[in-house]
Amino acid sequence: MALKKNARSGHGTGSGDATAAGSDAPGNQPAALTVTQTAVAEPIVVANSLWRSTDPNAYQGSLEPDVTHLREVEASGIARHDDARWSGALDVIPTKADYVLDLIRANSLWPLLSGLACCAMEMMSSATSRNDMDRWGMFPFRASPRQADVLIVAGTLTTKMAGPLVRLWEQMPEPKWCVAMGDCTCSGGRYKRSYATIEGIDRVMPVDVYVPGCPPRPEGLIYGMMKLQQLVKDRRGHWPDRAVGPTVPEDV
Amino acid sequence: MDAALKRRLQTRFGAQLIAPIHQRHDETEIRIGPGDVPDVCRALHDEPAFGFTLLADLAGVDTGDVMQVVYHLWSETSPDWLRVVADGLSREDPRVPSITFLWKGAEWMEREAYDMFGITFEGNRDLRRIYMPPDYQSFPLRKDFFLPDDAARSPGAGVRHMEQSHAPTNARSATMIRKTRA
Amino acid sequence: MTTATPHVHPAQEVPSDDPRVQLDEAVGVFEPIPPYPPRTERESEFYTLGDGEMYINMGPQHPSTHGVLRIVLKLDGENVVDLDPVLGYLHRGVEKLCENADYHHTIAYLDPLEYISSLFCEWPGVLAFEKLLDVEVPRRAEYIRVLSTELNRILSHSLFMGWMALDLGGLTPILWSFIERDEIAEMLAALTGQRLLFNYLRIGGVNGDLNHEFLSRLGDWMTRATTQIENNLGLLNENEIFVRRMRGLGILDKETAFRMAVTGPNLRASGVPLDFRRAHPYSVFPELEFDIPTRDECDCLARYLVRLDEIKQSLRIIDQCLHNMPDGPIMAKLPRLLRPRPGRAYAAVEGPRGQYAAYVVSDGTDQPFRMRIHDPSFVHLQSVGVLMPGHLIADAMAVMASLDPIMGGVDK
Repeated sequence: MALKKNARSGHGTGSGDATAAGSDAPGNQPAALTVTQTAVAEPIVVANSLWRSTDPNAYQGSLEPDVTHLREVEASGIARHDDARWSGALDVIPTKADYVLDLIRANSLWPLLSGLACCAMEMMSSATSRNDMDRWGMFPFRASPRQADVLIVAGTLTTKMAGPLVRLWEQMPEPKWCVAMGDCTCSGGRYKRSYATIEGIDRVMPVDVYVPGCPPRPEGLIYGMMKLQQLVKDRRGHWPDRAVGPTVPEDV
Repeated sequence: MDAALKRRLQTRFGAQLIAPIHQRHDETEIRIGPGDVPDVCRALHDEPAFGFTLLADLAGVDTGDVMQVVYHLWSETSPDWLRVVADGLSREDPRVPSITFLWKGAEWMEREAYDMFGITFEGNRDLRRIYMPPDYQSFPLRKDFFLPDDAARSPGAGVRHMEQSHAPTNARSATMIRKTRA
Repeated sequence: MTTATPHVHPAQEVPSDDPRVQLDEAVGVFEPIPPYPPRTERESEFYTLGDGEMYINMGPQHPSTHGVLRIVLKLDGENVVDLDPVLGYLHRGVEKLCENADYHHTIAYLDPLEYISSLFCEWPGVLAFEKLLDVEVPRRAEYIRVLSTELNRILSHSLFMGWMALDLGGLTPILWSFIERDEIAEMLAALTGQRLLFNYLRIGGVNGDLNHEFLSRLGDWMTRATTQIENNLGLLNENEIFVRRMRGLGILDKETAFRMAVTGPNLRASGVPLDFRRAHPYSVFPELEFDIPTRDECDCLARYLVRLDEIKQSLRIIDQCLHNMPDGPIMAKLPRLLRPRPGRAYAAVEGPRGQYAAYVVSDGTDQPFRMRIHDPSFVHLQSVGVLMPGHLIADAMAVMASLDPIMGGVDK
């Protein structure tokens, strides 16, 4: 399900990258994004060829992760893992309507009020007058997950809060995206060794954009949201079958 | 360093003190046994010579040998902070009477000491865990609780851990928990 | 299966040692009523419904809970009869992490506790370490500490004003508060390098000296500050809805305040002129002139007005600091590896929410043996159990906002 990247493509911006080309431009095959007959119960695991752990039994002996709760949600079919296209007939032929839909979605992403800790201050700061996220349509911070598009997790995720947060994520209707804001949500941050925190929310939910910083400046969050807008327009966000788990090399 | 306070405390509570009164900088410290806590605190609160009406802090301490509960009080009659240390609680079953009858605001502080150390406050009407989930099994701030530890039994378990949740291979054994004379 | 097995909730059975506990069935996080029998007297008293009462769970995600706080409300119609706050959704284990860290590293751990008033969280820790090490802080460093912390106090009170109005339904004041806050944050970023979690105070002084950018931003802001703040406050003080809603709400009288161990502006709004900067002076506060605003009405409006007066007093203090700033070093000479004498130390400062304190037990090594952090928001949040019952839900949120809790400090 990977995009075709040519050699000049980089980090998602720039002339050679896939994001510069629209999803209907020639040479870019949106049909490659179509989810075909994959077994939803099995997450697609990208083989780890970059690094290896010294202990052969670590990471469950290189088996795939068994995050069962998400798997069961997917298997039961209530989370249809398409990205909300109109109907099956349009799956093969990308249309301008799809492009317009993506544009509409990207320019009115409604975040969910999910400020947990200090990063929530910077999130609020980026939403208020000086650094205005309303310029990109993200003004209404919805209180209800049923009305929200993007979950900006801002603040440390503790083990007690993990349950409600995953429940919020599961209550959000498709299409939805997740932004991990701040070091605590990216990887655990300064609370890495604590007994009560989750080291990075990608252990419990799929993340689309990581915004590092402790806390990230409001401009940093806005940059992350603009990256998210590019993902939305290119339909690269929210892979339901993506393997959930940490992807940090061993010597970091 | 309030010498007058030291004299007043010595004359009033001399029988209950289990160690000499210690003063340093702007703190005065008295040590009592856990059973004397309600009487001493009530006397410090009610008697006009003392007048320690503000409870500044309530903390638990695990010294490795014994547990302590430390109360910090403030009064207008003295420029010093008063520290009352209820010393000598056992590490296996620490119990101390609650002071919620004097200060209702101590209720959550005692709940926190229970949550972190396992200290039972007799007389606290609401002694349940406050920070950790209700089904958590350990008491995190005890000296025999090592980090990273116990993550497997938390509600966040079930996800793949970066570090394995076992005691490190070169960890100190349980007999070598960190101790101090505090 | 012919016989139906009764469903036993996982919380009621003995938890197994299997680490793969499912997130969905974590105890009590989705149900207002805990699925286990009541464990304490208060729990059984609360979780027994009277006639016509119901439970509403204001879950950890809620626009008005100042962070992740869960309150189970027992309601009779719209009136709050009783409430049970559930904390711990932001408990990060700071005290345990400090025990495994050097004395210098603990300063960075203390920052995110009350993330809006970070310098006040660092200050008692640093003071306690200085007591253990018998360090004398240079005068210039003390003045810079007072200057930066009073700026932090103004920042915190501006945000309080915004949130107070937001909890009552007004959307404009929060935007104006954040303009104020952003200006001060940029100022402090020029001084400390960080907008929010400053990590600026050091054992024996401060991290960096005053620089040109900070002073120019500060001077620029000070020229406008008084009129700007007056305008911001005039938005709310003269608003009839705001004043009429807040007047007479959440009366916290003097005896109850002492019983609930309340300190800070909440106590001063109940008629007690207790301010630790005057009552138990530390740093250079004996040399500075400022008043202690106190009010007698004990209601939400009094707590709001006390904080506004404190902003004006803080401006006065900043003015004096700038005029009397001495020359000299900003950091005492200390060895890199700190090994204080074995002993105990307690230090408390007066912050925007109340008394911030630290109790440090040292065993002579380079790591604190016990680092106890006392946080005012934790103590004040107990008062909502006393103040909220009897009010309507909307007023109950106003009461909680007037106590100004920050969940990072409540949960440590």
